[in-house]
Amino acid sequence: MTILRPSARRGFLRRNGSQTIVVALLVILMVVGSLVSSRFSTLANFMNILEQSVTLAIVSLGQTLAVLTGGIDLSVGSLISLASVLLSGITNGDPGMVVPAIAIVLGLGILVGLLNAAAVIWLKVHPLIVTLGTGAALQGLTLLYTMGPAGKMPLGFDFWAFGRVLGLPVGAIITVVLFAGTALFLRYTPLGRYIYAVGDDSTGAQLMGLPRAKVLLFVYGFSGFTAALTAVFLVSRFGVGQPYTGANFTLTSITPVVVGGTLLAGGRGGVIGTLLGVYLVSLLNNVLNYMDISSHYQLIVQGLIVIIAVSVYVEKKRKL
Amino acid sequence: MLTLSNVSKSFPGVKALSGMQLDVRAGEIHALVGENGAGKSTLTKIIAGVYQPDEGQMEFDGEIAHWATPGAAKVAGIHVIYQEFVLFPHMTVAENIFIGHERRNALGLVDHRQTRRDATELLHRLGVDIDPDRRVVDLSVADQQMVEIAKAMVHRAKLLILDEPTAVISGKEVELLFQRLQALKADGVAIIYISHRLEEIFEICDRVTVLKDGQFVASHSTAEVDRDRLVALMVGRDMKELFPPKADPAAIGAVVLEARNIRAAGRVNGASISLRAGEVTALAGMVGSGRTELALALFGGLEMTSGEVVIGGQSFRQMTPARAIEQGIGLLTEDRKGQGLAILLDVASNITAANLDEISRWGLLDRSREDTIARGEITSYQIACRGPQNPVVTMSGGNQQKVLVSRWARTCRKVLILDEPTRGVDVGAKAEIYRIMREMAAKGVAVLMISSELPEVIGMADRVLVMREGTIGGELTGAEITEEHIMRVVTHQNAA
Amino acid sequence: MSDVNMAGVPAAGEALRNVLRRYALHLSLLAMIVVSTLVSPSFLSGGNVSNMLLQAAPLGMVVIGQVFVILVRGLDLSVASIMATAAVVATSFSGQDKDAALIFALALGIGLATGLVNGLLVAKRNVSPFLATLATMIVLQGMRSAWTQGAPSGNVPPFFRILGSGSIYGVPYNLIITAVLALVFWVILSKSTFGRKIYITGGNPVTARLLGINADRVTIICYVISGGLAALAGLILSGFVGIVDNWVGRGFEIDSIVAAVMGGVALSGGRGTIGGGLIGAAILVVVFNAVLQLGLPIQLQIIIKGVVIVVAAAFYVRRKAG
Repeated sequence: MTILRPSARRGFLRRNGSQTIVVALLVILMVVGSLVSSRFSTLANFMNILEQSVTLAIVSLGQTLAVLTGGIDLSVGSLISLASVLLSGITNGDPGMVVPAIAIVLGLGILVGLLNAAAVIWLKVHPLIVTLGTGAALQGLTLLYTMGPAGKMPLGFDFWAFGRVLGLPVGAIITVVLFAGTALFLRYTPLGRYIYAVGDDSTGAQLMGLPRAKVLLFVYGFSGFTAALTAVFLVSRFGVGQPYTGANFTLTSITPVVVGGTLLAGGRGGVIGTLLGVYLVSLLNNVLNYMDISSHYQLIVQGLIVIIAVSVYVEKKRKL
Repeated sequence: MLTLSNVSKSFPGVKALSGMQLDVRAGEIHALVGENGAGKSTLTKIIAGVYQPDEGQMEFDGEIAHWATPGAAKVAGIHVIYQEFVLFPHMTVAENIFIGHERRNALGLVDHRQTRRDATELLHRLGVDIDPDRRVVDLSVADQQMVEIAKAMVHRAKLLILDEPTAVISGKEVELLFQRLQALKADGVAIIYISHRLEEIFEICDRVTVLKDGQFVASHSTAEVDRDRLVALMVGRDMKELFPPKADPAAIGAVVLEARNIRAAGRVNGASISLRAGEVTALAGMVGSGRTELALALFGGLEMTSGEVVIGGQSFRQMTPARAIEQGIGLLTEDRKGQGLAILLDVASNITAANLDEISRWGLLDRSREDTIARGEITSYQIACRGPQNPVVTMSGGNQQKVLVSRWARTCRKVLILDEPTRGVDVGAKAEIYRIMREMAAKGVAVLMISSELPEVIGMADRVLVMREGTIGGELTGAEITEEHIMRVVTHQNAA
Repeated sequence: MSDVNMAGVPAAGEALRNVLRRYALHLSLLAMIVVSTLVSPSFLSGGNVSNMLLQAAPLGMVVIGQVFVILVRGLDLSVASIMATAAVVATSFSGQDKDAALIFALALGIGLATGLVNGLLVAKRNVSPFLATLATMIVLQGMRSAWTQGAPSGNVPPFFRILGSGSIYGVPYNLIITAVLALVFWVILSKSTFGRKIYITGGNPVTARLLGINADRVTIICYVISGGLAALAGLILSGFVGIVDNWVGRGFEIDSIVAAVMGGVALSGGRGTIGGGLIGAAILVVVFNAVLQLGLPIQLQIIIKGVVIVVAAAFYVRRKAG
């Protein structure tokens, strides 16, 4: 229970400040990009960016929900690795196995998520620690299954990563649909509202009799699901699953979430901000490539951009 | 409606309740009184399903009641308005009111427009003007309480428990609250009213149950007992006069602190006050008039957008807590758990916290000196604890407050500001705190007491300043300090 | 508002439970050691013990710093990156002892500067510690990458190699260093006024400010300490490894946080001790070593690591609640 202090009223701009900053940065980047190279402002390039951002977007979507409840899911990277090797391993070139393999992998993702949630709810361990542990365990399981690339996907499976529908990348369309659906869910269903409530005040939610357990099970299950889905797209992109393929995704799935205005403390933010954050990161990578900046410096710039994005918009700091 | 028999509950190391009995009827307002530590909070939580009793039986609405979770109690029709509220700070008023009972449309989806409309109507019926789209964290505390009450109405509670409801509101808001409670009572709702403010209990409650040390003492109708008898039952002994005698006007010294034209946080709009040594000044006013903000500004906890504070021959346009402490100012904040206490630490650490230099030698802590100091304070203030290493988090409100008072009494040489010093404090500890305040004044300290409890203001103050909308609206001394006179200045009616 | 009565003296059974609770961590470590010895008799052999100590020392150094940061409600994810950077610095010069002082100064400087940046971001710009230290971690990684052009090379001067893997009278130098650092910082944390300020600030920064404590300064100093210690740990570890390795310190940020949490340092701030963190580190090292001893495949080792983390944390929660 918190004693609430009255604070200064915030206008629209202040309330959506971080999203405004992200949009501003996006615009600036686009201007910079077009100045840097003529090939930047082509339709092909933008389609490229959309295509490449699909995987980050999907995993960040699940992560957003976890963060909204005041938690975090650090197991997504390992889950992606496991899911991808299982997918290509089980399929192993047989087109008839594709659908079952996808189903298995998605189911696995949900299961892992439920397990995470269960540990948080009943063992009462902080989500950071739980998902860290599960992540480590999953990575071990992945390596048990295979130490290198496993199996392969049949021809045509790369449609998901590279295909176009009505000129737009398939993945991008699916991404937008998923995000829109989730945004509507968060706004218009009771469970969606409870997600915010649990993040805002978890004890309060329990006192009010809200189904905290159900919320957490759903949120982490969903995060596991999106991680597995990300793996599907990754495998589509590379044609085969690899045991370390998800390693980077854990921490990088958090950046768009936070940059987009969802606070790690929970209870505030949303998926639209995350999508903007994803595009910011992708656009940044793209522009840096055109600027011919070696990948070494790219890392530096990425880090700096993150710092800028989150520190320029600061909750008005009261002295108290 | 609700009956408890022989209910007991223990926690590691303490027996919080034993052999408790309670009987609340539908359509009555039943008061629950007792000192801090008497067991009221545990009792409430058992009724609400947060705790489960070790022994005993509970009957609600004619059936045996066993709540495993707060949710179960809620579904059965029990609703609690906790002293610290259970609101979701970053969600809107409307959403908070209907959380758990969302207004849905034909598709089963949440209908935000209907929610907003229903919330507006509900707030209207309560007679308050709150924008349902505002986030709860942006509201004043009094408004937040109204939101809580609106919530209770939505839940169609059969039993409503209010824990210290008037701790943070006063005047007109209290009247509104009482009207609402009467309406609910007429609807057949059973209401449990927990409060330290005995005057209110006699005003609005039908019966009262007294608890002491986790046990049932007595249950009477409010017509049968009077204030003194009630206090005697609560405390277990006869209470002598609560307030120590006031200062002899001749003993009041020179001005030690002068604040000129202070503006801060949008709430203080050009307030000027001066405080004199040996004098207890009360700062009265409605909740939201800017008193807490003024105190914080004087202490440096809030930024002053303009104005100056003159103390010790120096003028400060910007105060900081470090400077204030150095100048001999102490501030006992309104929110002891959230701002005042180092809640994770023990008694000794809390007592010495404002003046670490006192126990520091070459940058290292002198633990034995700290221990000696703490023991001294524990004895002289009669703080109930197992010793200087006792964690403050387990202590009762009154004792926590004593720890804080002792902390500041040690360090402030010139000015002691106390913001609602007896809020949530039981009668026994209240008397102690008043005594300490008077002692400080006698030593030459200028005491400024912010209080929303009129009896306290009238009983303690040598001088009353009334704050209204950010400035000082009036000053009363001596014989002028009466309830009527103060209320008139507070509500800005012209003197007859 | 609490209504718990302060009763009298606890009964005998209660006293035993209190002792168990206070020393639960130490008992757990003991239990781990016992189990490990049962599982693998060579666990307590001189060679193995010294092996473990060599591994534990750098982790211990980092844990000390991490404890400071977590106490003020923060996290330091940049420690591994700082360690790696220090290692790169160590191999970037001639590889001879004449550069030892320069290497030391430069590496320490980088560690302290990073800590300062972290602290400023968190305290002055209100950036979440997770993000701030994540960002500096990335930036350092990039700088490292650019400096070595992706192909690290060079040797670590003998001075650091001795510190990293040598010993005196059978006691490893790095352990001595860690012990000394632990002692110094333990004094600072538990016995100095600054340490008291840390606990007050971590418990509630608002309360700290209202007591005249400069909460920002306290926070920043904690991050600087963490950065400095990470740099030292990186130098020592690079001495242990001997050649250049861009991944020196990999995993240390997670391990140090886990060790601290297992050792009773609350992520919410204001609670915990250096001793606890070090014991947590010891438990981690014992467990990993035991698993290694079992000759289990690396995959299983990683799985067990994960399970242990969760179980330990759950156990800690139980202990606190019970």
